[in-house]
Amino acid sequence: MADHQDMPVPALSLQGIDKFFGAFQALSNITLDLLPGEVHCLLGENGAGKSTLCNVIFGVHQPDSGVMFRAGQPYQPLKPHDALTAGIAMVHQHFSLVDNASVLDNLLLGQSQGWINYGQQQQRIKETLQGLGLNLDLQVKVSALSVGERQRVEIVKCLLRNPSVLILDEPTAVLLPAEISALLSVCARVANQGCAVVLVTHKLAEIQRIASRATVLQNGRVVTASTQPAREIDRLVRAMIDRPGQTNVTAPVVGDPQARRYTLSEEVLQLDGVTVRDALGVTRLDNCTMVVNRGEIVAIAGVEGNGQSELGAVLAGMLPVSDGQIYVAGKEVTGASPQQITRSGVGIVPEDRHAVGCITEMSLTENLLLNHMHHYSRYGFLQRRKMRDRAQALITRFDIRAAGIDVPFGGLSGGNQQKAVLARELTLESLVLLVAAQPTRGLDVGAVAAVYRHIQDARDRGVGILLISSELDEVLAVADRVVVFYRGKIMGTSLCGQHDRTAIGAWMAGQAA
Amino acid sequence: MSHRVIKSTTVQRRADPHLRTLLVMSGAIAVAMLVAILMILSVGVPVSEALAAFADGAWGSPYAIGASINRSLVFALVGIGFVLANRARLTNVGGEGQIAIGGIAATAMSLYGGCEELPYGLAYIVPILCAALAGGIWGAIPGWLKARLGTNEVISTLLLSFIAVWLLYWCVQSVSLLRQPMTSGGTLPESLTIPDTTQLPLLWSDSGLGIHLGLAITLVLGIVVAVIIQRTRFGFSLRAVGYNPQAARRAGMAITWTMVAALAIAGALGGIAGAIMLQGDQYSLKAGFSSGYGFDGLVVGLLARNSITGVFVAALLFGFMRSGGINMEMVAQVPAALVLVVQAIVILTLAGSAIWLSRKGVKV
Repeated sequence: MADHQDMPVPALSLQGIDKFFGAFQALSNITLDLLPGEVHCLLGENGAGKSTLCNVIFGVHQPDSGVMFRAGQPYQPLKPHDALTAGIAMVHQHFSLVDNASVLDNLLLGQSQGWINYGQQQQRIKETLQGLGLNLDLQVKVSALSVGERQRVEIVKCLLRNPSVLILDEPTAVLLPAEISALLSVCARVANQGCAVVLVTHKLAEIQRIASRATVLQNGRVVTASTQPAREIDRLVRAMIDRPGQTNVTAPVVGDPQARRYTLSEEVLQLDGVTVRDALGVTRLDNCTMVVNRGEIVAIAGVEGNGQSELGAVLAGMLPVSDGQIYVAGKEVTGASPQQITRSGVGIVPEDRHAVGCITEMSLTENLLLNHMHHYSRYGFLQRRKMRDRAQALITRFDIRAAGIDVPFGGLSGGNQQKAVLARELTLESLVLLVAAQPTRGLDVGAVAAVYRHIQDARDRGVGILLISSELDEVLAVADRVVVFYRGKIMGTSLCGQHDRTAIGAWMAGQAA
Repeated sequence: MSHRVIKSTTVQRRADPHLRTLLVMSGAIAVAMLVAILMILSVGVPVSEALAAFADGAWGSPYAIGASINRSLVFALVGIGFVLANRARLTNVGGEGQIAIGGIAATAMSLYGGCEELPYGLAYIVPILCAALAGGIWGAIPGWLKARLGTNEVISTLLLSFIAVWLLYWCVQSVSLLRQPMTSGGTLPESLTIPDTTQLPLLWSDSGLGIHLGLAITLVLGIVVAVIIQRTRFGFSLRAVGYNPQAARRAGMAITWTMVAALAIAGALGGIAGAIMLQGDQYSLKAGFSSGYGFDGLVVGLLARNSITGVFVAALLFGFMRSGGINMEMVAQVPAALVLVVQAIVILTLAGSAIWLSRKGVKV
């Protein structure tokens, strides 16, 4: 680790940065130094301003006031290109790779002008990879890579520019545990080479493992900072979720599983030998038979990519089954359209919020009512007033924070978007079943608690919940039953109060108990 | 619980686009006029003479004004359809073919569909409806192809357009189709003149303007489409499907039906444009009937930037320019090519300044 005793010149220094979006102040008087050789963790709830801050540094947004210094020199990026020229690189939450091109071509994208000397460039890339202890097949197409490998390509792409500041915006949100570990090692190495690494994250384990310093943002302000974050995790978490004037802090996972009434009543979902084979003939779901009852939370656990996504898509009516039957509240819905599934009382919180759950270009109101529109039109005409009232009520009830009911949905933070999707699905008429796939992915501690509070409320009202999640701790804390998937098969079921982590771990690894 | 819900921000944005569209257009036209004058000078025609001919043809007499407006109606109808389909992010470049198909259908119905004797104006209404149906089917095909097979609608509407234009050519060349009976070697390859009852009645027939009922039809359709886009569930679905078909499908919207309907309506409006040209203006079907109006209508739709008001403004501009241009060519001997060049400059400056203004709008 680098020595900070005699405070080197900051690689980047922010002083009094303010940023407004319309009337909404996203950043307020942010002062922050990034030192060479440190891994600086940026913490905060969704909507706290982390992404905005990164975008200001990277030149996507320009601050309304305040100044920045890059190694002591004034730094005013007007576009990302200026940031790159100044030696500041950023890996965005959503990848910007060309799927159809090779890894090599992706790495060279935007870096070379005129003739490309492939031999020379390849040599340079190999050296960079070696320096990081990374392995990448340069010839393979990006479309053939896993999410973790794609992210590695993004990072290497940045590092080829020899940046002195590297920003990673929630890089671990989409990774498997092993990939997260590899990513953190890369971060450490990059920092060791003298680069200032900014890591935006929610995950406390990562801070514990890697952060040299941490800064907590809340409502666009710096609320606290720590120079030894590993020892001060508790304080940082409290700073993240504490709200002035709000005394009752909810832990990420609420409720005591023992104290819950656990009633076996009528079945709201029944899967009977459901099998899905994809276009290549690979079996994605293998003869799944299971039941969700009224008023219980059944969780699907397992390492990602073992059929959970397919299960979610099948239940949403977005993927046809190859075999087997599905019943909702006793009525068969096998092969039903999304609309019929919604009508039969199934709420869906899809895994990929942006692709399936919402329309980011449309307004918050329109997204809140997306699948209820038949209630908000008469003779085909929209009833604007009724829509507004309804949206306003949902925004209040689900505590969705936005600068207005007509703001574009894409401008909301991830947590508020998810709350909006939940609000829409949980308020369906005659809701009997909620299928929530990775409902807390990429959300901060406060939003996670809110999501589970709403899910548990629904359960207490008698709705059956099918929770698909790869966050085992959350799943064990909230679910009445945990069903473990491995390669599309049900490996075992664990009942609330009798969870055996060893057995669940073995099931997840594909070993029958 | 705290809520930062501010209502006022959305209200301010509403009034903006129409005003801006107007601003953009007038600014750009001024520039285009300047360039046009320079070009006229360069071919050696006195500017005053050329401009006088232009003005004469565009608005020099009641008849000229009427002709310009009648022309605008065709552009407007195609433009309205373009704007509607564009809500679903579908680009209808098949206006030319839809006009041709509409023209064929209207001719066939007027001459051989037994419409001549129908009472209460049905004699001219039925051919228009048939033209709408034919154009609608012509538009629905690319919609279906797009929804089911992912075929790019820009390509399929354009290709179907060529098919339609040549179909029209065939119709007026072949006596067994719509060509008038061959009485001598000099019989032109065109249809018979449609019966009087199937021709659109003139509005203000004493004024000498020659504006036909198509004006009322176009205005009504424009308002109807504006309402559809802004106030109906179908308009909502159009936008949802355009932005994110996956999410729209999950929300229970019928993707295929919405896409087909969007392009079918655009096609139907193109068909009506063809019927109005035939029944209000030309009275017989000839080769080259659609005369590029479909493409001008497409540009009108593009320039209107998703506003129906914008469509009407742009359509009027194009109508007057076309009329003035034709007269300038005939009277002042300014070459035909120059008129097209000037038109192109208008389009470029309009589109360019629109982009410039919208960029500016983002930063302010």
